[in-house]
Amino acid sequence: MKCDDCFNLLEEYIDGEAIERDAAQVSAHLITCAACAHEFEALTAEREVYARYDRELTVSPAMWSAIAARTTESRPINSGSRFSLGGWLAGLFATPRYAFAGAAAVVIFAVLIGVMFLRTRTPERPPPPETVARINNPAPTSPTPDVVANSHPPKMGEPVLSGPERHPLSEVSAAKLQKNPRRSDQSGVLFTDAAYTDIEDKDTANHVAQAENLLRSVRNLQTSDDNEEVDVSYEKAESRRLLDDNVVLRRDAEMAGKYPVKKLLGELEPFLIDIANLPDKTTPTDLRAIKDRVQKTEIVAALRSY
Amino acid sequence: MKRLAEISLKGQPGAFAGSLMNCSADLVARACEGDQEAFRLIFERYSRPLISFVYDQVGNRELAEELTQETFVRAYRSLRTLREETKLSTWLFGIAKNVARESLRARRRTNQHVDLDDKLVLNLSDRGPVPVKQLLNKELNEVIQNSLALLDEDKRLVFTLKVFQQCSYEEIAEITGFSIPKLKTDLHRARTEMRKRVGSYVRVES
Repeated sequence: MKCDDCFNLLEEYIDGEAIERDAAQVSAHLITCAACAHEFEALTAEREVYARYDRELTVSPAMWSAIAARTTESRPINSGSRFSLGGWLAGLFATPRYAFAGAAAVVIFAVLIGVMFLRTRTPERPPPPETVARINNPAPTSPTPDVVANSHPPKMGEPVLSGPERHPLSEVSAAKLQKNPRRSDQSGVLFTDAAYTDIEDKDTANHVAQAENLLRSVRNLQTSDDNEEVDVSYEKAESRRLLDDNVVLRRDAEMAGKYPVKKLLGELEPFLIDIANLPDKTTPTDLRAIKDRVQKTEIVAALRSY
Repeated sequence: MKRLAEISLKGQPGAFAGSLMNCSADLVARACEGDQEAFRLIFERYSRPLISFVYDQVGNRELAEELTQETFVRAYRSLRTLREETKLSTWLFGIAKNVARESLRARRRTNQHVDLDDKLVLNLSDRGPVPVKQLLNKELNEVIQNSLALLDEDKRLVFTLKVFQQCSYEEIAEITGFSIPKLKTDLHRARTEMRKRVGSYVRVES
């Protein structure tokens, strides 16, 4: 053992805290090294000086009398069968191990109750119809999903699809948006970390569900062999809206250290970008390229498993 | 986990009679049953180390007595929360630490200065000639007390628990809530600081 190592271990050795192996090595080193042995003696002498420290304190009988009087008055611990919440809490906070944890738990519990109360207290205000329409169709010229579904008559040779099959996203997302109007109506929520995280998770879940529907919708788009252009104006608008949210949610996930979520949203983003950048009427080749990538990367399955 | 208070002594032959029945766990169990004598025995056993510990933290005799009293009252009220695996002494020191810290912080908030005792010096002047050894001891006591007061709270806490109360690292960690590496560092620094002030009283045989 080197002197430096011995020196570093001496205090622990003197305190009887060195592990067995270290203690044996220090003992052996002290026999052979005069400098370390001298240091050891200095520490021992120091210890003796502290052992002589006399505070000249006496415990007066009056102290016990005062304690006995105070404990006899209250006797909270002896009321075995009667449970007192106040007494229990006082005892809990007086116990050093649980004092901080107890206080923290009470604060967190109170905040959660407050948040739940405020959330249930907030009146259910369905967003005005024009808001829903605006959310669904950010492009000013785009018609509402229902209008799109109804105003898109099947072309000659194209299989007749019902509204939901053609645009499953429109109704699903509208319903979801009405149920959970994203961050637009959370004025009554106290933004604690816990509440914020919860809202973020819900937002992400909604976003992922909507993105999954969008990609399914794109995957199900029919392309003809005669290079006839396909109308993707609705998918494009929806993709643009989702793209904005995706960027924000991906950054939030990164900041919160939710790396799997960040990764998933990161994988989704190129698809949203590609769809958002399609012309309103796209060529089957471009659409097929996106569909193939959706198929190959199994992004829909990944979104579904979120 | 079983609470000490739940240990029943009923039906045990010779309960309360032998010295074995005065181990900490039994005393706690009896005190929880309302046995005032058992709590008095706990007080007798731990009052001296506790008052010394509190005094080392606050540096004032009267305040130390008051805080030790508060420590025992709090301990009595929460005896039922003491768990089997927790050592009674560790638990009591933990309460004493909280009580002392609360007092120091309350005084700091109200800008009240806690005066160190000067009783030792007064005693010296009252008694006339004093033997050299006794004089040195008095002086040493005063130096140690003043040096302790100059340590910061955490270091003083760790130092007094280790050096004066001979607690193990695990016990200190449990009392203070500090991690072992932190308390080792604090202890080493406290020793170094104390050595600077007390070192001249340390005589090493060469």
